[in-house]
Amino acid sequence: MKPRLLNVLALAMLLAISAQAHHSFTMFDMTKQVTIVGTVTGFEWTNPHCYIEIDVPNESGATKHFSIEMGSPSILQQGGWKFSSLKKGDKATLIINPHKSEPGGGFLFSATLPDGRILGNGPGRGPQK
Amino acid sequence: MEESSEMVPDADRRNSRAMDLKKLLHAALALSAILPFATGQSSKNPPDLTGVWSPLRATGEYAKFAPPAAGPLVLKPEYSKPYEARRAMEAEASKRGEPLATGGAQCIPYGVPTMMRIASYPVEILQMPKQITIIGEAFSEVRRVFMDKPQAPVDDVAPGYYGRSAGHWDGDTLVVDTIGIKPSVNGYLGMPHSEKMRVTERLKLLAPDVLHDQITIEDPVVLEKPVTYTLAFRRLPDYEMVEFVCDNNREYVDEKGIVRMRVKGQ
Repeated sequence: MKPRLLNVLALAMLLAISAQAHHSFTMFDMTKQVTIVGTVTGFEWTNPHCYIEIDVPNESGATKHFSIEMGSPSILQQGGWKFSSLKKGDKATLIINPHKSEPGGGFLFSATLPDGRILGNGPGRGPQK
Repeated sequence: MEESSEMVPDADRRNSRAMDLKKLLHAALALSAILPFATGQSSKNPPDLTGVWSPLRATGEYAKFAPPAAGPLVLKPEYSKPYEARRAMEAEASKRGEPLATGGAQCIPYGVPTMMRIASYPVEILQMPKQITIIGEAFSEVRRVFMDKPQAPVDDVAPGYYGRSAGHWDGDTLVVDTIGIKPSVNGYLGMPHSEKMRVTERLKLLAPDVLHDQITIEDPVVLEKPVTYTLAFRRLPDYEMVEFVCDNNREYVDEKGIVRMRVKGQ
């Protein structure tokens, strides 16, 4: 119950500060957290959002690709991220809020980097540096 | 020679008077540097707003700088109904997880006055005597406030995102008058507006590192009465503004006008 409550609180904060943001985040299911573990195929430090592209193997050995949306560089740097925090080939564990209608889409809650650091998705969302 | 010898003391007296005047001037200048927050500042020596300003969260030590509550937004009846209907539709769509298209989701700039507060992004103010430039970090939006030119008639300004801004100092308050915002530019709280909209801002330092921007919107076509709201900012002394070029927008609008996300490889 506790992590979910925290997540809801984080969302409330996010929405409160996002009175005018790039877009509404209601396309993601903020009540649900999914952990994915895989190999990074790209880390895009871009606007209006940064993205982690990641290949995630399932039990049968097949690979499913995910595009995980993050904040923008300005927002993420406040949470300890840098343009070089992830690179192609890195193994990463991501906690995401899945997209409601795009199965390969999601919004980052937190990421465990290869060096063990856990970063959130900007102030008010996930663990901070 | 006698004449000239008599002139020397005169010159000395003049010099000594000039020295006294100089001392007085220095004292006055020193006083004006100390007193502005206590006494208000003359427009000849305006405060320097140059710096990076972040949205202020009015908690803890900043609680006392909370901006006053926004005034009511009262639209004329013919605009009020469609506006309320649109807001209800947006809220409903958002609840379903199918947010309706907005300019922002398509990387269209926000313009005046919305660009003064985009999520938690800062704005940078560069103050020069003849022009004050305001740069919004989100979408790298730029406004120019002309300090040495009168405002143009509203019919002479080509409608755009930032319009034309003329500014002057009213004591220690920077007053910025903006006209020429085109009706398609997102309005305050999504309100509709006409080409006659006029935005008057009063920017004032409440403390050396706290700024308020009181924004009043008048629109004789759309609004029943002017609406006023205030934004509060906190100075970020060492912040380096980050570039923002919207070149990787994965959100797109489908045929129903709903914002969708593009997943790579699909």
